[in-house]
Amino acid sequence: MAIVVEKTAGVVLAGGRSSRMGSPKAALDWHGSTLLRRTVSVVARSVTGPVVVVRAPGQQLPDLPPEVEVASDPREGLGPLQGIAVGLAALVDRADAAFVCSTDLPFLHPAFVGAVLGALTPEVDVALPVARGYPQPLAAAYRTSLAPVVASLVEADRLRPAFLFDQCRVVRLDDAALRADPFVAALDPELDSVVNVNEAAEYDQARRRPAPEVTVQCFGAVATRAGAGPRTVRAATLAQAAAAVALPLDRHVVAALNGEQITRDPELPLTTGDMVAFLSADAGG
Amino acid sequence: MRPVPGGYFGRALVVQLDDGSSSVLQLPEPVLRAYLGGSGLGTWLMHRLTPAGVDPLGPEAALAFVFSPLVGTPLTTSAKFAVVAKSPLTGMLNDALASSHFAISGKLTGYDAIVVRGRCAAPSVLLVDGAGARLAPADDVWGLPAAEAERELVASLGRGWRVASIGPAGERGVRFATVSHDGRHAGRGGLGAVMGAKNLKAVAVHAATRVAPADPKAVLAAARDLRARSFGPATAKYRELGTLTNLLAFNAIHTLPTRNFTAATFAEAPRLAADDLAGLRHVTRNSCASCTIGCEHIYRGHGSTTSRVEYENVFALGPMCGVSDPDTVLEASARCDALGLDTISAGGTIAWAMECADRGLLDAPWLRFGDGTALLRALDEIGRREGLGALLAEGSRRAAAAVGRGSGDFALQVKGLELPGYEPRTLQAMALGLAVNARGADHNRSGAYEADLSGDLDRFAGGQAHVIAAVETEDRAAVMDSMILCKFLRGVFTDPFREWAALLRTVTGWDLDGEELRATARRIVLAKRMFNLREGWVPTDDWLPARLLQEPVTLGSGRVATLSAATLRGMVDGYWAARGLDGQGRPQSAAAVDDLLLGELVVS
Repeated sequence: MAIVVEKTAGVVLAGGRSSRMGSPKAALDWHGSTLLRRTVSVVARSVTGPVVVVRAPGQQLPDLPPEVEVASDPREGLGPLQGIAVGLAALVDRADAAFVCSTDLPFLHPAFVGAVLGALTPEVDVALPVARGYPQPLAAAYRTSLAPVVASLVEADRLRPAFLFDQCRVVRLDDAALRADPFVAALDPELDSVVNVNEAAEYDQARRRPAPEVTVQCFGAVATRAGAGPRTVRAATLAQAAAAVALPLDRHVVAALNGEQITRDPELPLTTGDMVAFLSADAGG
Repeated sequence: MRPVPGGYFGRALVVQLDDGSSSVLQLPEPVLRAYLGGSGLGTWLMHRLTPAGVDPLGPEAALAFVFSPLVGTPLTTSAKFAVVAKSPLTGMLNDALASSHFAISGKLTGYDAIVVRGRCAAPSVLLVDGAGARLAPADDVWGLPAAEAERELVASLGRGWRVASIGPAGERGVRFATVSHDGRHAGRGGLGAVMGAKNLKAVAVHAATRVAPADPKAVLAAARDLRARSFGPATAKYRELGTLTNLLAFNAIHTLPTRNFTAATFAEAPRLAADDLAGLRHVTRNSCASCTIGCEHIYRGHGSTTSRVEYENVFALGPMCGVSDPDTVLEASARCDALGLDTISAGGTIAWAMECADRGLLDAPWLRFGDGTALLRALDEIGRREGLGALLAEGSRRAAAAVGRGSGDFALQVKGLELPGYEPRTLQAMALGLAVNARGADHNRSGAYEADLSGDLDRFAGGQAHVIAAVETEDRAAVMDSMILCKFLRGVFTDPFREWAALLRTVTGWDLDGEELRATARRIVLAKRMFNLREGWVPTDDWLPARLLQEPVTLGSGRVATLSAATLRGMVDGYWAARGLDGQGRPQSAAAVDDLLLGELVVS
């Protein structure tokens, strides 16, 4: 992926009413974690800056990683454009662009986020996927400099994203354009990243899907306990990956996701193609 | 006779090598309690016995073998000693630790430290036993590898003698020569060259007395408990595969410095990995005296040669130089042992030279990354100080100063000490630890990588959390290196300062607690800084080489990790503030300086 915007961030909109679902989507279980937690962490992996969760006034959120920021809509029920306005405003001094998405994208993949952000060339203000037949304004990239434009639209009660797109430079990314990214082609070829869950049946169906296929490798004393690997397992979280190789996630074990961030977080969401390395917690001399 | 606390003799033996005379320096109980032993007490002794501004290779420089209150107890991993002097590599305080029987016998000569000053008229061995100190000719062992010299001396001196010796590199003044005992090295900072400059081939010690802990039953109970814990998962890594197990793990997480820190992964790392080598070449496992961990893993090289294999020597002589042939790396490691060379500085300096040759800055077309034959030739030349070795024996900082033309930017050293196998751009708490430590770039005095690898902070984005981690791990190291316990045991302690205080209480009888030990750690760290200040430390010494701040390192995902000068500046300033230092890295508090018990010897 070629990220042409240096400072990227994330905005996850959690303030919807979830009326068709019947219970708050943010708190829905997702393989031992929550749907919001999963979406937030996948976005966080894909951007260089902060992630802001925008909630409805007074809305209770499930537990989130401490580095995640939370902002509140000033008024309830104005729809996603207000959430976008709040999220972009929170980031305007700290990031050039943000990937903005809804909570309910259980198959969102970092490769997709990277490809969309990567489409944000200097001539473009919004990179809008038109995937699986529909525009996806809640899985799109926006320049944070649009914050005042969005705010003025909300102020004028022009609450549809299309009104924003009329006022800025938009690149539309169809399925072929998205799949032109080699990582998307390899890791999210069906563009499942934009599959959302609005009703209980959709949620149940999504949960029945097999967990992502990931590779697990163990090192040092951990390999003595669990075997070195590499092994391909299905796991939606770090805890599931450890369980798949019969490794207790105790204080003597840490994990590295794709060789980068070190973590002990059992709820860390995994996505297709991830590499999980389990190491001794006392790695070092 | 005044009473001394348990575990101590309350005195140091000071030997004048010019004539073999000796004197006893009384060590007041407040000093022992303030500095414990090992690295801490050695620092105090250097303030006291090394004149300011002295040439570390000159006769006035003092060199101390320092023991600790725990030596001689049955506490696992306590048989360690510190060798402390002003480093010829850094010009600053250097404390290098080694293990095994020399520590026990040395302490039981009846002294908490043996200090040498002056210079022997001819190559000599210092003998210390119940009869005191005396010099013997070293004609028969001068020129021998340390291990051979040790064997010869023990054979000639007789049963019960233990020997710490230098190899040919120390005799020839290589600035990163080691002092070794029982195949283990007080490795970093060139203290072997200090001995060599004194015409001192070896120090031989023979136990002559006993030392009693304050509460022998409590010590025994603590020793049993610690022994049981030492068999648990916290030490499994060291027991099962040794530190070499880091190699593949570090490669997987982009922290394996490769080809002079131009990359953080080495594609051929699996060829050098413990997991594979152990199956093919593992000969045996060994322990230091009084140790239940048994971290030493002995590997077979070409023919009948064997060598102890650690992560650091494989890193420095393998990926750092781009060499992946296991036979060559094992041979290079054995050659460093024989010559008495610090493997990290040797590998780091040769890697710098390889890059210089690549860039046409050195006329050494034979010296190329990945060329194992060239690596072995370079080691030999360094050991003999011949050819290019005469330059490289000075270490990368001095060599870069001689070569010029920007080569200092990629001399990977701090304060003159070459970096160990931890990539600072992907381990940014460690980056700070390496920058500010008194000894220079070193992983044993700053274990901040533990925080980077814990998952508790973002290892790619240094900040205040990294400052806190660097201070904490440096404090822990200061106490462990002074009381002394092996750091491979550190994982068994869940509340370390409190637990260490409990151990020290049983041995010394002091009523100390964890808070006092924390203050002890801060005192030792400050005392080292004060020594360096005295010797000309300037604020820019707490910094990292330009390469690490100007060049990103690529990760597997295609992202890059960077460590900006601004990020490092913020962390260093934060560290100075956390240490109570001013904006120039100097102590602000007169009380803190008074607390060092250095009296009029402090030179500000």
